[in-house]
Amino acid sequence: MHLKAPEHQVAGHIAKDGKPGPLVDDKGRFFKPLQGDSRGEIEVKFYESFSSNTEIPDHIRRYFPVYHGTQAVEGSDGAAMIVLENLLSKYSKPSVMDVKMGSRTWYPEASEEYIRKCLRKDARSTTVSSGFRISGFEVYDHKELSFWKPDRKLLNGIKVDGVRLALRKFVSSNTLSDTSSKPDAAFASSVYGGSNGVLTQLLELKTWFENQTFYHFNSCSILIIYENESIHDDDARAQVKLVDFAHVHDGNGVIDHNFLGGLCSFINFVRDILQSSDESTENN
Amino acid sequence: MKLYNINDPICYSFRLLCVLVAEKMLKVPEHQVAGHIAKDGKLGPLVDDRGRFYKPLQGDARGENEAKFYESFSSNKNVPDHIRGYFPVYHGVQLAEASDGSGKLPHMVLEDVVSGYVKPSVMDVKIGSRTWYPDVSEEYFNKCIKKDSATTTVSLGFRVSGLKIFDCQESRFWRPDKRVVLAYKVDGARMALRKFVSSNPSADSVPDCAYASEVYGGSNGILAKLLELKAWFETQTLYHFNSCSILMVYENDSGGDDERRAQVKLVDFAHVLDGNGVIDHNFFGGLCSFIKFIQDILESSDNRCENGH
Repeated sequence: MHLKAPEHQVAGHIAKDGKPGPLVDDKGRFFKPLQGDSRGEIEVKFYESFSSNTEIPDHIRRYFPVYHGTQAVEGSDGAAMIVLENLLSKYSKPSVMDVKMGSRTWYPEASEEYIRKCLRKDARSTTVSSGFRISGFEVYDHKELSFWKPDRKLLNGIKVDGVRLALRKFVSSNTLSDTSSKPDAAFASSVYGGSNGVLTQLLELKTWFENQTFYHFNSCSILIIYENESIHDDDARAQVKLVDFAHVHDGNGVIDHNFLGGLCSFINFVRDILQSSDESTENN
Repeated sequence: MKLYNINDPICYSFRLLCVLVAEKMLKVPEHQVAGHIAKDGKLGPLVDDRGRFYKPLQGDARGENEAKFYESFSSNKNVPDHIRGYFPVYHGVQLAEASDGSGKLPHMVLEDVVSGYVKPSVMDVKIGSRTWYPDVSEEYFNKCIKKDSATTTVSLGFRVSGLKIFDCQESRFWRPDKRVVLAYKVDGARMALRKFVSSNPSADSVPDCAYASEVYGGSNGILAKLLELKAWFETQTLYHFNSCSILMVYENDSGGDDERRAQVKLVDFAHVLDGNGVIDHNFFGGLCSFIKFIQDILESSDNRCENGH
């Protein structure tokens, strides 16, 4: 088995200072190290429950990575890893964005210390104000022919205007490292719009969240991926996936109102960019 | 009516007339379930016999903020008419004799939402998974988060603030103690929403949900109204309704026409802020959770009817 570090990781843990990070193979699989505390256990428990939950409709199942169980991997001290579908394996030049959903990342069952840590981070970011925050993104620059990702520290301090700008940059073709030119949002309708675009997929997810009481997706992210190779043929193959289930708890008959509120807010942000880019093409 | 500047000498005689007229007819509201109560010499709202509700403007920023909201909302052209119906009509500010004997205080004059009901069942539900909001004082934040965590606010996205239900079997109102209501957990909240539409709310036995389809269901029922509100909240970025409540009201004694006249109103706007281009995701999430609870009760009561219970 030939394993290596993933190329386009935008958020979450990476292999650093002797601590294991995620790995990918050449068969389309993603290996996520099971974190030492209960988080890894909770994530496995979620994937086990979700894969065998017969009440999850097929059209919703597609928004989740396929689960392939756990496996001990050589070279990681025999530590178990969660084996998942590598969401990027079918993309040759993917732009990727990770958006943490919800106006709070803490939840009632968490420890006081964890809650305090989350509250601080939520208040400093756009989580409290907007119901979501951008954890990271990487976008392909069609002029420079290379990938660009914003400085992590800069991203942590952005406010609402910064979020809007990032969402525009994410679907732009012009030189992104050049801050003097305004992002052109050239790919807004191919990526965000259309019958298979990001907005349509988010709206499908929203409908499910209005009724599902199985899981509370605390601190989960929505990953947005699209292909740059074929985008000029208007074939962006935009995909929305939910990821990171280390803090998922049972719904216990209550909807995930925290995720739903944040998702609805995020949908509005995406829709605004789509509408303003549609308007500017009409005016041209 | 326009907002009066209480120091304007030109309006003095007209103000005096208003005060004298108001003084004759003001009394403590019968059906108030939450908020400050004008009883035992305390400062609280009053009603007249013409369908108006007088809410005292307390010295702090809250009263000012609430009046500011009503002023903004009444003249906001971006609020659709069918949504305007979910808010009390605003009649400006007037001087009135305060309920605690402290003299003439400015009062916000609002539509009395329960006037015109003979025997209304009323429930106040505070919507949102948090009652605090960005930039509040640390003290206020701590007070809010403590209450939010101790009640169903964090877990459900809403909490029952008060209720008064007419028990048609006992022919009297049932009104649980405020401390009991605030101690409700998920089961308690569900039970309260079931009792709200039952003929036996004060009994210890299982609530019969006898009125679920009349009050919650139907094209003019509470669920239909909540869904209309929800559609507006999906995209409105005008206001953030921090700490606001939804008031549900319906009639128990319509004198023969059996009309429930179920109503939904948003109330308590002391902490409303500008939306600034972002939707009120806090209210929206809580509202959706509340809607699901109502839908579940409606469905289970429909099932019982089908099974011949």
